[in-house]
Amino acid sequence: MSLLKVEGLSTHFITRDIDNQRRVARALTDVNFALDTGRVLGIIGETGAGKSLTAQSICGLLKPPARIVGGRVTFDGQELTSMSPDALNRLRGSQIALVVQNPRSSLDPLARVGDQLVRIHQAHGRHSRAASRKRALDMLAAVGIPDPEGRARAWPHELSGGMAQRVLIAMALMNDPRLLIADEPTTGLDVTVQAQILDLLRNLVQRFGMAMMIITHDLGVVAHYCDEVAVMFAGTIVESGPVKRIFSAPGHPYTRALIGATPERRRVGQGGAQIGGEPPDLYNLPSGCPVRLRCAYATEVCASPPPERVMTPGHVVRCHHAGDLDARGSVA
Amino acid sequence: MSQVVQGEAATAPRPGRRVLNRMIGLFRMSPVAAVGLLIILFFAVLAVFAPWLMPYDPIQSHPGRVLQPPSAEHWFGTDANGMDVFSRVIYGARYGFGIAIPAVLLALAIGVPVGLIAGYKGGYLDEFLMRIFDGLRVFPSIILALAVVAATGQSLFNVIIVLGLLDAPVFARLVRAEVLAQRNSVFVESSVAAGNPTWRTMFVHLLPNSIQGAMAQTAVRAAWAVRISATLAFLGVGIQVPTPEWGAMIRQGAEVMVSGQWWVAVFPGLALIMLVFGLNLLGDGMQDVMDPRRRQQK
Amino acid sequence: MTGAQPVLSVRGLTKQFAVGGGRLLTAVNKVDLDIRPGETVGMVGESGSGKSTFGRAVLRLTEPTEGSIRFGGQDITHISQRQLRPLRREMQMVFQDPWSALNPRLSIGDLITEPIKLHLNLGRSERADRAEALARRVRLSRDFLRRTPSGLSGGQLQRVCIARAIATSPKLLVLDEPTSSLDLSVRAGILDLLAEIRDETQTAMLFISHDLSTIRAISDRIVVLYLGAVVEEAGAEALFETPAHPYSKALLSAHLPADPEVKLARHQLEGEVPSPINLPSGCSFHTRCPVAIGACKTTVPQPVAVGGTEHFARCIRIQGGATQTARSETA
Repeated sequence: MSLLKVEGLSTHFITRDIDNQRRVARALTDVNFALDTGRVLGIIGETGAGKSLTAQSICGLLKPPARIVGGRVTFDGQELTSMSPDALNRLRGSQIALVVQNPRSSLDPLARVGDQLVRIHQAHGRHSRAASRKRALDMLAAVGIPDPEGRARAWPHELSGGMAQRVLIAMALMNDPRLLIADEPTTGLDVTVQAQILDLLRNLVQRFGMAMMIITHDLGVVAHYCDEVAVMFAGTIVESGPVKRIFSAPGHPYTRALIGATPERRRVGQGGAQIGGEPPDLYNLPSGCPVRLRCAYATEVCASPPPERVMTPGHVVRCHHAGDLDARGSVA
Repeated sequence: MSQVVQGEAATAPRPGRRVLNRMIGLFRMSPVAAVGLLIILFFAVLAVFAPWLMPYDPIQSHPGRVLQPPSAEHWFGTDANGMDVFSRVIYGARYGFGIAIPAVLLALAIGVPVGLIAGYKGGYLDEFLMRIFDGLRVFPSIILALAVVAATGQSLFNVIIVLGLLDAPVFARLVRAEVLAQRNSVFVESSVAAGNPTWRTMFVHLLPNSIQGAMAQTAVRAAWAVRISATLAFLGVGIQVPTPEWGAMIRQGAEVMVSGQWWVAVFPGLALIMLVFGLNLLGDGMQDVMDPRRRQQK
Repeated sequence: MTGAQPVLSVRGLTKQFAVGGGRLLTAVNKVDLDIRPGETVGMVGESGSGKSTFGRAVLRLTEPTEGSIRFGGQDITHISQRQLRPLRREMQMVFQDPWSALNPRLSIGDLITEPIKLHLNLGRSERADRAEALARRVRLSRDFLRRTPSGLSGGQLQRVCIARAIATSPKLLVLDEPTSSLDLSVRAGILDLLAEIRDETQTAMLFISHDLSTIRAISDRIVVLYLGAVVEEAGAEALFETPAHPYSKALLSAHLPADPEVKLARHQLEGEVPSPINLPSGCSFHTRCPVAIGACKTTVPQPVAVGGTEHFARCIRIQGGATQTARSETA
């Protein structure tokens, strides 16, 4: 059984505008995926595709007007969407841990680093202060911070960006989480530091037997640090499967365009960036396939919701034309 | 769970319906502003249609009917000169708007450019201008206004000028603060890079993006102007009896209050309170709607 | 092309900021750079490398502390902003964040034609024609001309910024991370557009970015910046094939190509970029350099010719090249 299983998850933003009209943004539509212990899943997509919202929906961090309107999230056999906020709070920070971008703003500026780690440990279990302190120093060492004792006494503003991100990861590890959700963990960090942080996360998953979800817009991060990938577009997972498989044989036109648009795959001026259009308006999504208005392969059938097609075991493509793209592409 | 609720089809409602919806929408966004706006509209109607709404000439005295209590003939009674209080209260709305609007416009006309220049140029010029304004703020505004109006002559025009000058620093400070925040923003740099002369960068690019805070304050400052001008009239400075101005009427009424003729002061007083209240409500709502930081908390 | 007079010629450009307590932050440290007509020079570096400050200083949007900037043969380092204004017609800039780079109160049409209004004496209808032509050039529908920036996406806004920058047919375009804040599929279109414009108009470009793939895709020549100083300069292919400076090597290896089959070479660096407030002595990179020796702490490295033409690195550990004292001798 999978550690995390998301089935049919749909999240909407429901608001009223200045003309008192009800407006519904379909931010997530029928999201399905599963994640096993020891695996790293990358969720990739453009701004507004619903990557972060997926994470927030899973761990109950949605704020009005966003709300889950359907679907199930099963974590270790427990159903999360119907769980009470208190029970979800207990789960979050212990079993499920989050690492967000902008590490600096996620640390309490008025507490020493060590105290913040101790605090989160004490909040989720009965531990002696000494035990919590010991654990904090162990975790600071585990995330590769030199001189853990010295750093534990530091204030957040004394940390560099990379150091702050390491502290945040140490904090996430304090209560032995089984699932780590990293939302753009290296955005804003320098490339040379990005590699350090990603290597660290990857090793921690192995060492502590966790599962990890990395939310990113960087195909390079997916290519080198994830086992599986889910490609999101306009609130839908259009394709998911093993990373190598998806990079070598992408089955969805959107994935193809996305991978094809990287400077590694195409020369500048070569053209052919068809899906370079603008993301659709979530308040006014087209019927059927959300990609169809900017898809070179679209036909009438695309106006009806596309089925999830299993290409090879684990490789799922949500497209009417999955499997016959090459034949059609040569004609077009 | 693949059948998901469809977003409502955007069918255009009929025009009347649309206006109503916009009103309801506005009300949802800021009920406070909507109530304030209704009160102000009420007084605006009074001011515009005063000649048709007044049963009597507001400065026509009826020597036989001095200090009569409210009755079917004189709804708000009559004052010591035998003038109809109801008519005078209605006509007084003209003075309320007639002073507040030009005073606020004058304050904007002075304060906004000064704030813009001080904020953009910075340095000694900024120091100098801001010190002058600080100096102005040291004195309680009502005493300063009293002194200036007393010295320059008692006329409606002078009251407007004094109120406008006294209020200019408020707008200057608001604009300056916003200009300081926006001065280093990318679109300002982009306008310099495009080759804009300094004045154009300031007035075409910086100003329209720095003025919201000041605009949101206009209703609150208009309330202030109504209040201060009434106070001046009440103290006998500026507008004189028997002009149907609410402050002057309250002054008149205060004299006869002790002898039991309450209606002469109470009705203009109520009108004054309601208009100031309405302007403040609108001002508060405008700040909620126009200031993104306050909007986010909703 | 080598013989052509450079559009932009920068010598010894230094920019320092006072950061209080009498301390100085050195953002740009003695940078030399030439850009010839039609050439695209990529400038790559991490945050704090001074690449954005350099771009701004070149256009005198921030005042340089030392050094000289010659534009089209004219020394513009010390002329007044008033004298500079007519020259701005010839040198324009595109900024990183298109959401904040456009005055939200103006229409797209007015934004695009503003440089024309400022620099060319054209009537209203001619300007309207130009606006349509520019919109067509950057592949924006003419319907956008009447709208304000608020409803547009990042890619559309960046097209507006580009249209605005090329409105007066400048000789030099400084592009400060023009694609970094855009989504991947939109980036490709913007890069294509810039390449087309360059090929049609022979506009010289300074393309600033922290993203190696993007830089590689568009540049003829690449300059690598570390803590405000040029550590290596080479033709685009030469830099990627045979990087010479240890920092360039580390930067290239930290880059994650979007292809799981490419094996990552590991020259990982320890630690992070030091503060530009007290620059390390000698070679700024010695605190993180895997091959540093004692002399690196004391000797300021001079450009060393590496392999082919126009390939220089500032590192005393590189063997086999004659040390150049100044670039002007080789030019």
